[in-house]
Amino acid sequence: MAEFRRDWLSKSVAGSVLGFTLAVALAGLFAVAGPGGLEARNKYQFVMWLVAPVWLGVAGFVFLFRSGRVAFLWLGGANLLAFGGLYLCRRLLH
Amino acid sequence: MRGEILRLYKSVHTWTGIVTGMLLFVCFYAGALTIFAEPLAHWASPPAGGSISIEAADRLIEKTLAARPEAAKDFTLRLATANEPARLSWRKSRSDDVVWSATLGADGEARIERANVSGLGAFVDTIHRTAGLPLDRETGTTVMGVVSAVYAVALVSGLILVLPSLAKDFLALRFTGNLKRMWLDAHNLVGVASFPFHLVIALTAVVFGLHEPIYDALDHAVYDGRLPTIMRSTGPFAGVKRDEQKAPIKKVAELVAAVASASPNFSPASLHYRDAGTHGALVRVIGEDPRFLSRGGGFAVLRGATAEIVNVDYLPEKQSGWTAAVSPFFALHFGSYGGVPVRWAYFFLGLAGAFLFYSGNLLWIESRRRTARRHGEQVVQTTASRLMAAASIGVCLGCVCALSVAIVSTKWLYGHVEDVDAWRRGIYHAVFFGALAFALLRGAARAGAELAYAAALGALALPVTSVAAWAAPGLGPWAAVDPESAGVDIVAFGAALCFATLGRATARRAELGPTDSVWSARRPREASRGLRIPLSSNERAAAIGAGDGDVHG
Repeated sequence: MAEFRRDWLSKSVAGSVLGFTLAVALAGLFAVAGPGGLEARNKYQFVMWLVAPVWLGVAGFVFLFRSGRVAFLWLGGANLLAFGGLYLCRRLLH
Repeated sequence: MRGEILRLYKSVHTWTGIVTGMLLFVCFYAGALTIFAEPLAHWASPPAGGSISIEAADRLIEKTLAARPEAAKDFTLRLATANEPARLSWRKSRSDDVVWSATLGADGEARIERANVSGLGAFVDTIHRTAGLPLDRETGTTVMGVVSAVYAVALVSGLILVLPSLAKDFLALRFTGNLKRMWLDAHNLVGVASFPFHLVIALTAVVFGLHEPIYDALDHAVYDGRLPTIMRSTGPFAGVKRDEQKAPIKKVAELVAAVASASPNFSPASLHYRDAGTHGALVRVIGEDPRFLSRGGGFAVLRGATAEIVNVDYLPEKQSGWTAAVSPFFALHFGSYGGVPVRWAYFFLGLAGAFLFYSGNLLWIESRRRTARRHGEQVVQTTASRLMAAASIGVCLGCVCALSVAIVSTKWLYGHVEDVDAWRRGIYHAVFFGALAFALLRGAARAGAELAYAAALGALALPVTSVAAWAAPGLGPWAAVDPESAGVDIVAFGAALCFATLGRATARRAELGPTDSVWSARRPREASRGLRIPLSSNERAAAIGAGDGDVHG
């Protein structure tokens, strides 16, 4: 098994920045594809509330990654998937 | 690998905690007080005579708007309670910070003045939102949103740290010789027991502080810039156009009755008027319904000219769909559900949170000390742990003292200065920064005891003020003898006893505790005479820099 690296700075950056963008993309997926669609009455508030737990969950657990590089790769990949899904959903549903 | 993960999380927990702990102490202590902001404001308010009938409110609106027509655009009517008559408040313009207030005198005329005393609740709330930082309210709230995000990471890392030994350590409170162990046990016990509360508070505080940037990001990435339009079209005021045509406003009793017919158990506390006297007037009837999880109460929107209900999305009993999905977050932050028992629970959870941050800082300082000992060196406290200890004492006890003094000053200043609010703010910052400077100059050991005694005096000043007002009516403050004010005095007296006990314990530790501690007021030489203490010139300089007779070696 590969060595565990502390990499606290790169992991913090990955968690706080990529965690935030990932949270925005996932909340966006819920907004677009979730019940009621984009314009449901007052749904935008719930969508906004989704961002904080996802973002801070990622920022809290990011230090479990084996290294900062691995954290960047996984979270970067997750971002690509989430934003790709968001783009597709918007093309398909609207 | 497991050990390495835990070690990394220990540093994450330590640093996120150290960075946020002191600010969060202020937020939690002030937050515990905001739960009882109304009794506090009532304690500080002069007895206001006058009728508490609902017709008097109509007369108050009429008289005030006749004297101050500029208020009609946007004003709030606080309905009369058992103790106080109705009060009208407004600002001359949106950008003007001065709040004006009017009550109906016994002669039936409006008494208009700056809303100084009734602003005490808002003052404590501002300290709660901004950690008392000398910033404007918006900036301070945003800063605390970021701090809350770091605090959420501290919570997650703390949970990961205690998880492996949770079963073993949770209820263990080891009072054996190892004082650090006992502090750690207490920190873990409070932390784990109130973890759900802290998680909710952290996440909601992040949203309260940072919702605007989050909305901006969502608008950009998801809504293609249409979010403001969506917000406006579904907002509580949507569908009603401004209409400058004159139209008399409905009576307060009629507006309240209209809401009561929609939700009988909703108890209105205030009415917020927009464009009163015009055809497009809107009234938000704000109140509480403790049977539901709602956002610190709720409201219904009515047409002012017809008393027709426009929006019930935010009425606790009527909320539905997405509004209902969001409301619990607000309720869980404010403790605005379940009535009095929940309010007391939140009060004590808030104080326990303050304890968590205080004990966390102490643990950091103590663990620095142990590290040094393990390496077989004579323990010399680093400048960092000295400064940290002194700053923790200064900020925590300074905030406690400053809030008490600011609250008491409201009652003594009333009638003597024009702008009580500015004075109160100035007094808070003077006491707070004074205490911080005192702690840094005097060292944690002595300042810890002395500021705790000062905090006891500060809390004692509340009942003393009440007694003084009752015994010597000419002195300035007025006597309030209703149960609500007496409750404030009793709680303040209890707090004074707690702070005095803390002061005594700290003083004793400074006198008798281990001399190598930052909490000792004695020099190590007195205890371990003859030991050669190795001190690098660097450390010596640091120790001397810490000043005032606490110099080691």
